[in-house]
Amino acid sequence: MEKVLGDKKAIALFIVPPLLLFIGVVFIPIIWSIVYSLYSGMPGVKFDFVGLSNYTKMMQDKTFWQAFWMNMRYVGIVTSGQILFGLLMAMIFQFAIKKYKVFVRTIVFFPVVLPSVAVAQLFSKMFEITPSYGLINALLEVMGLTELIQPWLGQGGTAFGVLCIMDIWTAIGFYAVIIYGALVDIPGEVIEAAQIDGANSFQLFRRILIPLLKPILTTCFIFSLSGTLKMFESATALTKGGPGVATRSLSMFMYNTSFTYSEYGYGSTVAVFILIECLVATCLVGLISKKLKGDV
Amino acid sequence: MEEIVRQQKIKIAHKRKIQSKTLPFIGKLGIALILLIEIYPIIWIILSSFKSTQEFNMTPSYSLPTAIHLENYVTAWKAGKMNIFFTNSAINTLVSLIFILAFSTMASFALTKMKWKGRDLVLKIFLSGIMIPTVIVLIPLFTVYKNVGLLNTRTALIISYVAFGLSLSIYLLSTYLKYIPDDLIEAAVIDGANIYQVFLEIILPLLKTGIVTVLVIQFFFKWNDLMFSMTFVSKTELKTIQTGLLYFSDMYGNRNWGAIFASIGISVMPTLLLYGCLNKMVIEGMTSGAVKG
Amino acid sequence: MKSKLLMGALSLALCTSLLGGCGSGKGTASEPTQKAAEAPKETAKEAEKPAGEKKTIKFLSIWPEDKDNSKLILELTEEYKKENPNFDMEFEYIAPDDLVSKIKVLLASDDLPDVFAYESGEPLAELIDAGAVVDMEAALQDLGIADCVDEGAKSLLKTLVDGRGLYDLPLGLNIEGMWYNKALFEKAGIAEAPKTWDELEAACDKLMAAGIQPIAGGGKDKWPLTRLLNAYIMRSIGVDAMLEVKQGKRKMTDPEFVKAAEVIQNMVKKGYFGQGVTTVDQGTAVSMVLNGQAAMHYNGSWVTENLNSADNAAGPEGIGYFNIPTVAGGPGKLDEYSMNCGNILTFSSKKYDAATADWVKYVFTRMGDKAITDYGAFKGFKINNMPSSLTYYTNIVADNLKAAKGSSLWFEGRFDAKTSKIAQDYVQTLFNGEITPEEYMTAIQDSLDGK
Repeated sequence: MEKVLGDKKAIALFIVPPLLLFIGVVFIPIIWSIVYSLYSGMPGVKFDFVGLSNYTKMMQDKTFWQAFWMNMRYVGIVTSGQILFGLLMAMIFQFAIKKYKVFVRTIVFFPVVLPSVAVAQLFSKMFEITPSYGLINALLEVMGLTELIQPWLGQGGTAFGVLCIMDIWTAIGFYAVIIYGALVDIPGEVIEAAQIDGANSFQLFRRILIPLLKPILTTCFIFSLSGTLKMFESATALTKGGPGVATRSLSMFMYNTSFTYSEYGYGSTVAVFILIECLVATCLVGLISKKLKGDV
Repeated sequence: MEEIVRQQKIKIAHKRKIQSKTLPFIGKLGIALILLIEIYPIIWIILSSFKSTQEFNMTPSYSLPTAIHLENYVTAWKAGKMNIFFTNSAINTLVSLIFILAFSTMASFALTKMKWKGRDLVLKIFLSGIMIPTVIVLIPLFTVYKNVGLLNTRTALIISYVAFGLSLSIYLLSTYLKYIPDDLIEAAVIDGANIYQVFLEIILPLLKTGIVTVLVIQFFFKWNDLMFSMTFVSKTELKTIQTGLLYFSDMYGNRNWGAIFASIGISVMPTLLLYGCLNKMVIEGMTSGAVKG
Repeated sequence: MKSKLLMGALSLALCTSLLGGCGSGKGTASEPTQKAAEAPKETAKEAEKPAGEKKTIKFLSIWPEDKDNSKLILELTEEYKKENPNFDMEFEYIAPDDLVSKIKVLLASDDLPDVFAYESGEPLAELIDAGAVVDMEAALQDLGIADCVDEGAKSLLKTLVDGRGLYDLPLGLNIEGMWYNKALFEKAGIAEAPKTWDELEAACDKLMAAGIQPIAGGGKDKWPLTRLLNAYIMRSIGVDAMLEVKQGKRKMTDPEFVKAAEVIQNMVKKGYFGQGVTTVDQGTAVSMVLNGQAAMHYNGSWVTENLNSADNAAGPEGIGYFNIPTVAGGPGKLDEYSMNCGNILTFSSKKYDAATADWVKYVFTRMGDKAITDYGAFKGFKINNMPSSLTYYTNIVADNLKAAKGSSLWFEGRFDAKTSKIAQDYVQTLFNGEITPEEYMTAIQDSLDGK
């Protein structure tokens, strides 16, 4: 048994090709980028070694922090929204829909498969105000709520809101299906037993379901964070970061710095920061979930 | 005393039954609303793809098209070169998927079931890739590809797609694999199977739903890729669908909305079709109890 | 045993195809690999051989093949190919937003296309300083066609790169101003196009009274809004205002500049721009004026392509033009125009050789004529055979080009990339009232000061 499972040739065959590919295409460029972060300027034009001064520059850069906080707010709202609504939707699948289960699940998953450019065009048109009212403004007009009609994408606060709605809408189906998968696995007897013991819905939810769903929720958090921390394409397609810089995420800031301002060295510094952010987030989620597992 | 408690429990169970009867009604309304929110935008895309550009500017966006302007689709296919982009996206995605599946199944098997030194380290290396922002590797990768003469080739894209698809796929498959009992493998070995037979005949069939899940997820990512195809490929004949969607906005901002939505329709159809056909398996895959993290 | 062989074979196939670099790509993939490897060697040889050997040049454009400048260049290239069958052109289209970043990636790996569209000003200056682009003035001299570029365009282009010289070719010779829907003006009772800023605002009031949106602004694209700021500044402070800021003689935070931002912001507040000006893209703004949903629109003369097209709902003479109105007490005059050459065309110095030069000679001596004949557009090249009749709109442009006595660049024309982005990003918040004029100007000045 040990021999079979320890077969060195097989291991090499299974591991070496993907590992080489991964290291070559993913790892090495990252190391390269980290090295770049110690330089200033643009390779091919003017590239000087500046050591860690890019990092100190970043810490003092107002625009960096502004992008950072925008990203943090975005992460907070969108990740919680995606998972919350995903959870809600999963509960609905499990408890409230008797017929057409597969049909409903298929439909709810649709937005996940749309390309981000398409979704952005869609939402731009939906929230339009000039030359004609988009869906939302038109609905408000029909409902008589004309004071609420506004240029949703033209104002910092509301543009940020629309971005969040768009990204939550797109992902709900994905998380709903994943969480539903775990829900389905909870044996019916557990729920029935709790109900017979007199638990109401809320207690059922809190004491039984959540603990049993913890592992899958942890996975969801990691998926979601890996997307929201690095968000780039959706905001670029929707508002190009505007109005002003209201919807400019950290990745977009990095892209601007590297390509628009030709400060590739400094941009790499921001990229390294994002990398560290993601690793920290993963560790945190892992730690918290371990700790909570201990409590249960 | 016990009798009273039992009576109470029956009353509660009865109440529960009544409650669960009223829920469906409100639930049905809520569900209808949810479905509307989820699917209306897609219906809207399809309706819009039949409108002419004038209609976009003049009529409210929720109105139905006055006529079915199929020429939008023709424009998208010909002028927007959707036929080329579509083929490219299809080839790139399919080939990448084959490699991703092969590599990730083999790797995750070796990483979870086989025993060797450094196993945990390699697993961590692969998993760390989940967090990598792709923007960060553009210039280094570009330089590498240029120096080995791979710029402007399908291969460069496929290599990039496969490499970046490994982390998530290995993560997913590893979690599935953890739930395959080791006894199964032991039994097979005792019966005289070698490691390759174990892999091909025992593990892979059990991983079916996991494989489908990886397939579907990676399909979406690769089909919708913009960044890599934009940076590494410049020959028009090799470009992909996402680049095609940008064809209808020109320098001064004029947009041919009808054609844009028709392009979106064309680009979205395969993913919807694939999902429609495979969705049962995907759902099963995700619900088979393996994805528990 | 069979499984082992299968596994081995599979993995071997995977490995070799990966290392081989062409297994998985169908047919076409392997050719480009070889071509890409050979191309550098070819060009090196080309420099020695006379034009006539097989030559393929790469053209990176921001216009789709069948539109505008791409169409012009590609059609002329087809003609050239008939006489030079060994010549070929590889065309690539890229979205305008992605142009600068794509070129920078190419620059970083020393692989610029033979000829590509680019932005003049700071971006081009960067390429010039890196020695990456060809000195076109010298190149044109060598070809004996130094006069094929219009003098006005030449001086504009040189100014844009601070006098470094002529390193590019123009793809437009544009004047900017207000284009208005004549029918709507009539409806609101406006007899004459405004000549002063006060008349402009009065006209706006009349339009609002008649229930018409006075101005359509392409706020989503950002740059159309900063042009409006520039318009006021040109008249209230002077045609060289932005140049003086660059030279350090003025500051963006000076009261005159802040006043300009204030005036424009007030116009938005009064409702002259309709609702949500920052959500409308420039293309939609143009259609609004053509379709009669708004009365005026600030744009450059490149818009004549839309005006001359059959889709123009306002008809062949339905749109009028007036130059930026003068501001009371300001030195600006009506014969001073905001002018530019649009996006420009530039050439990789590494790849430029005799064959490319020959192509340049053929195409760009004919560009001026073809553009005016096919499109009624001025591209900044010498026109040898002016068509006997031009459309109404092209005549407007021609007349105003003749009348121009002074010119100014656009708002960000002299800014570095970072300041330019800040000016554009924040103009949206200026227009929707989220920041004050002082804050806007301070943000720009801080960036100029390098803070």
